[in-house]
This record gives sequence, C-alpha cells and structure tokens, in this order.
Amino acid sequence: MTSFSFNLIKNKNKIFGFSSFLILLSLIGILYSSFNTSFKKPINLGMDFIGGNELRIERSCKEECENISPDLVIEKLRTFSNNKNLLNNIKLQIQNDNSLISIRTPYLTIEESNDLISNVDKILGPLNYDSKNSRIIGPKLGKKLLTNCATSLLVSLFAISLYISIRFDKKYALFALLALFHDLFIVFGIFSWLGVLLSIEVNSLFAVSLLTIAGYSVNDTVVIFDRIRENLKKDSDNYNKIIQISVNESFRRTFFTSITTLIPLLTLIIFGSYSLFWFSVSLTLGILIGSYSSILLAPSFLIKD
Amino acid sequence: MKRRQGWLFFIIFLLTFSIYLLINFPLQLGLDLKGGSQLTLQLIKEEGKVSKEELEAVNAVLDKRVNNLGVAESNLQTLGRDQLILELPGEQNPLSASRILGKTALLEFRTQKENTNSQLKNLQLQRFKLNDLIEQFKIGDKRNEEKSLLLMDNLTLIENEINYSSNKQQLFERLVETKKFISNEIANLFNKTDLSGKDLINAGRRQEQTNNNWEVSLSFSNDGGEKFAEITKSIAGTDKLLSIVLDGESISEASVGSQFINTGITGGSATISGNFSAENARELEVQLKGGSLPLPIEIVETNTIGPLLGSKNIVKSLYAAICGLIFVGIFMIFNYRILGFVSVISLIFYGFFNLALYSLIPVTLTLPGIAGLILSIGMAVDANVLIFERIREELINGNTLIRSIDSGFQRANSSIIDGHITTFVSCFVLFLLGTNFVKGFAATLGLGVVISLFTSLNCSKTILRFLTTYQSLRQKNLYLSKSKPL
Repeated sequence: MTSFSFNLIKNKNKIFGFSSFLILLSLIGILYSSFNTSFKKPINLGMDFIGGNELRIERSCKEECENISPDLVIEKLRTFSNNKNLLNNIKLQIQNDNSLISIRTPYLTIEESNDLISNVDKILGPLNYDSKNSRIIGPKLGKKLLTNCATSLLVSLFAISLYISIRFDKKYALFALLALFHDLFIVFGIFSWLGVLLSIEVNSLFAVSLLTIAGYSVNDTVVIFDRIRENLKKDSDNYNKIIQISVNESFRRTFFTSITTLIPLLTLIIFGSYSLFWFSVSLTLGILIGSYSSILLAPSFLIKD
Repeated sequence: MKRRQGWLFFIIFLLTFSIYLLINFPLQLGLDLKGGSQLTLQLIKEEGKVSKEELEAVNAVLDKRVNNLGVAESNLQTLGRDQLILELPGEQNPLSASRILGKTALLEFRTQKENTNSQLKNLQLQRFKLNDLIEQFKIGDKRNEEKSLLLMDNLTLIENEINYSSNKQQLFERLVETKKFISNEIANLFNKTDLSGKDLINAGRRQEQTNNNWEVSLSFSNDGGEKFAEITKSIAGTDKLLSIVLDGESISEASVGSQFINTGITGGSATISGNFSAENARELEVQLKGGSLPLPIEIVETNTIGPLLGSKNIVKSLYAAICGLIFVGIFMIFNYRILGFVSVISLIFYGFFNLALYSLIPVTLTLPGIAGLILSIGMAVDANVLIFERIREELINGNTLIRSIDSGFQRANSSIIDGHITTFVSCFVLFLLGTNFVKGFAATLGLGVVISLFTSLNCSKTILRFLTTYQSLRQKNLYLSKSKPL
C-alpha cells in the first residue's frame, strides 16, 4: 500500500540499542560536565543565568581586518582597570575574519561597563559603535532567570503530560512521555558535550527550545499513536503487524512534516542573527531526534514479544 | 457549496482588512530590531513581597522621571510582580538614565543638633580634602602607579581621621565609599524636620553667577513654604546650620542669617548649591521633580543594541523568513502539485493574518518573536501535510476527488487539533512565566498556532473547493505527485 516497508518488529532491539547508546552518551556528557572542576554544572550555563557583562562590537577596517592576538588584547585591557576579579575572568572571542569581537567579563556596573566601551577602541583600533551590542546581567537576575526557566519547563511538561494522559489511555500516555523525555535528555546531553568541548553556553532561549521540542515531539507521537489506534479498531488480531503497518503508513508524513519544519529552521541557522544561532541548532536537533523517537522508538515500546 | 462561497468572501475580507491594518498601523519593533537600550529594574524589599500598590507607586515615580529626562518614545512597563522594564530607543547611553532612575531621591531638610560644631567642622574639612582627591583621580592618567599610591596614602590619612575603612578594593570605589560615609556622618549631626521632598511643587537648575557650578532651585507648596519659614526662623542668627539631605547623605549645609530671625525665609523657595556640575544638577532636578521612590530599586539588566545592528537584524530575519517560505513552498508544490499550491496560498494568507494580528493586539516584534513566527510557518505547513497525506491515501484507495478531499480534512482534524494544543500549552506557560525576551517568542508562536488552525483547516479547504469547481483542475494526476503502484 505504501512505498515504505520497514520491519519494526525485527529491528525493535536495534532501535532500543541505538536510543540507549544516545542516552548513555548524553549521561556521560552531563556527568563529565558536572564533575569537571572547571564547570561543576551539568550544562555550561551562560550569562543569562550566572550574570556578567558582554560586549560585541564590529571593527571598522578599510579592507580586511588584520589579525589581533587575543592574549595581547587581554593584556592591554588589564591596564585599564585594577579590578582583579574582572581581569582574571575576561574572555575574548574574535570571529568573522577578525571583524567581530566579543568581550565577556564578570558582572560590571553600568559605569564600569561604559568605561570599558569607551576605552576599548584604544586597544582594538577603530570600531563601529553603531553596531555594538552590550549586555549587563546582575547575578541576582541570573539566579531568578534560572529558577524561572526550570519552573516553566516543569510546569509545561506537567501540563503536556496531563493533556496526554487525559487524551490517551495509560499505556499510550506513558510511552509518549517516555519518548518525550528521551528527546529532551539527548538534546540536553548534546549541549553538555558542546559546553565541554567547544564551551558553548546555554541561555534562556535554550530552555525555550526544550519546551518547543517537547510540544513538537509529543505532537508527532500523538499522530502516530492515533493511526495505530485507528488501525487496531479495524483489525485487532495481528497486534504487532498492525503497529508495523501503521508506522509505515505514517513514515511519509512524519518525514515530510519534519522537513517542512526543518527548512525554516535551517534558513534561520544560515541567514538569521547570531543570537538565534544556537537556539535554531537546538531546535533542529530536537526535531530530528523527536521525529526519530516518534516514528521508531515510541511504537517499538508498543510491540509485544 | 454556498456555505463555502461565504467562507471565500470572508477570507478575502479578512485579507483586505489585514492589509489595511498593516498599512495604517505599522508593526512595533523591539529594541533588538531598531536599536536602543533596555533596562530591567528590580524593586528591593527586605521583608515580604512587593505589593501591587508599591509596584504602581514606583512605576508612577519612575514614569515622571523618565518623562522629565526628555527621551522621545521611551517606554516603561511593569514585568511580573516586582520588576519594571524601561526601553530607551535610539542612540541612548543607559548610563545617565541609570543614575537618575536608581536613586531613591528622598529629600530631607535637617537642622543641626546641639554642640556638634567641632565634629561638623572636621567632617566638612575631610570631605573637602576627599573631593580634592576625587578631582585629582579624574584628571590625567588613571594607570599611573605613583599617582595612585599617592592618592591612596592621602585617602588612608582621611580614613584614619574619621575612623573608617572601606572594604572596597579599587581606589575610585574607595574614594566614593568614603565620601558617602562622611556625608552620611554629617547628616547624622542634624535633626530631622517635617519638611521633605513631598512638599516640593517644582525644581529647576541654573548656573551660579560667581563660578561655573550649578545650583538647583526648589519651589515649595504653600504648606511647605510655611514649614520652611518655620525651620529657618528657628535657627536664624544662631550658629546652627541647615542641612539638605538626599538619600541619607548631606549634600549641602548652610547658615541662616540673623535678618530672618523674625519671619524665617519666606517666599516658598530655596536653592541648593553643592558644587554641582551641569549634569549632576540636571539629574537632581529630574529626581526631585519625580518625587522619591517608595522602595529602592536596583538595575539588574542592561541591554544596549546599536541602531545599525538593529537594522542588520531586520534584514537577516527577513532573509530567513522569505527563504524559509520559498523553500517550503517549492517543497510542497513539488510533492503535492495543486495541493501544494493551495498550501502556499494559505501560507501567504497565514503570514498576512499573523502580521495583522501583531499590529492589532499589538505585539512588539523582536528577534525571538521572529524566530517564533518562522518556526510557526513550519508548523502551519505540518497541518497541511497531514491533510494532504490523508487526501492522497484516499485517492490511492480509489475514492473520488471531492470525497477524498472531504474525508482528508475530516480525518486529519483530530491529530491537527491535538498537535496544536500541545504546542499552545508550551507557549502559554512560556508566556506566563518567561522573561520579556522569551515572551516575544511565546506570543508569536502561540498566535501562529491559533491562526494556523484557521488557515490550514479552513482557508486551504475553501481555496481547494474553489479550485475544484473548475473542470480542468479536477484531474487526479494533478493531485498525486507520482503514480504509485497500488
């Protein structure tokens, strides 16, 4: 009837193996990041959550921007201030062919930050102040944001679980939720690894992406479970077989809906502003994993030995 | 059929109305798209929670201050139970705004306590020396080690004199802290009176005639004028001084001449001259005009975005949105032929309805908001894919076109509604609990989900029904991309 024929019954154990492998990998990432002395947190928390000061600014160069050494810049920055906490924790990044500079420091007052901004061109050469982005987040707000994000996540996971358990009977609800937590855990694990390996930080948009992934993943699973229930009503004798047929029937549409959602996300990654880059990456990963878990993992739970 | 035609007119009416709205009420752009500064202000309360009244009172005072600052299009709003957000568009430096907003600005008039003359004289002398050190620090090379050491030595002398030691590390911070301490000590040598900032009706500033310093003039209400006359009368001709105290620090001490011994200073006005620079005088003026804050506030977040970066962000987001639409459109037409074409048209409607709703509500468009919109495009198409796959299956099963379309829409209904509800739940929670930044995303995605229910279920059905009224568009092979073996 359809052009897809995947033998779910036979490959069930491979799917479980693959998912367990991903989860284990994520767990290792999270544990490594938690116990590593330089992080001590399951995920590399960004400025949104710990507070700090960030300045992103473009250099205005005539043609190409010359190389500048980050160490030299930090060395020169030290001469501006004698605030030790500040100086020992400056992070400098130079991107886009030396043209984009980002300076991260611990929390500064507005006065100090202003001082830094107005003096930094003496070190870096002419700068394009019209395209600067400067953020200061106090440590108090950071803590508040962190609890805020955690509550949002928990509350909406609870709300989604509630909806699913009203909508489906217990077994289906449980498996849909298992698939959901599988997706979130793996995305979280990937970002733990990204934090350890590339010092990528997570901010409040990451929490938002997790929530969006949650909504999307559940939505995908619901569609497939609906199809299974519908087909089981027609023919409940060949239980395993019906599940496999339903999965194959849904294959095309899950594949297509994922692609139509991934296309706009990819354009955001490619064309969008830098502040949305990791957000889009996390959503993309979430949707890939979510589609996989909806079409393969969740129905595998239903298959009886 | 008639009912569908009614829908068609309704949809065309909605589209025209949306375009009308968009032309007449342009979209509001957030600071990350137009450039500017955003400050998040946190109310500080030692015990208990900040009440609604307190938040509103703080809001009112800050609103007056912001207005007196004279920044066009600034916007102050409350966030949650104990925060306020101030937006200053354009090329504003948040520094001066932060200085003006952050102070409580509680103005008091105090009279000197008995037998405190020698103490006061000493403190005034130390303050004079300290001001001198601060001036020296400000001019010239801040990194000069020798100069820093010299200043530090002098500071230590002053600190020893007043039995105080600042716990700050940096020289400048120590200087400021010490000055604060002295001003505070001076204020403590004075008795409170019942005259305060509440009795002011206006404040102004002018340059002093004798030198370059500025002074701030005060106008009292009738009641305040009487109190002021009373107070000045009580110390006129004595060696007691009148102190003007701002936020617990004495900023100016003055004697009242013996000519006022009978009536006090009448006329309901006074001047504070405390070596103000033009900038400082303006700040004090704005603060006094706005009144004092019922609760202290702290600036917990500042975000400044250059105007050029804002317009770059708009261009980038526009690119992403348009490319996303085009690629999704190509994908849909390639796979679903006429159905794909229908989904592209309803997607365009979707875009217009969304933007029109943003200008109607209004929703301020920010970068995360645009991300929400772009993501919702993908989700809106999802619903179409669900329906079209069903139609395709029905067609393959040998049903007639019209029947396939009908049952396709009908049978995909429940899955679509489920999916939209789960996404909407996430958005709703995000909107309730999230920060301003996050709210933008939740708002656009949430609205998108609601509109997509209408466009994907109703618009595409209506357009499809309309198209299938033409005989030439009713061939099955226009609906199936490849003839699949049955």
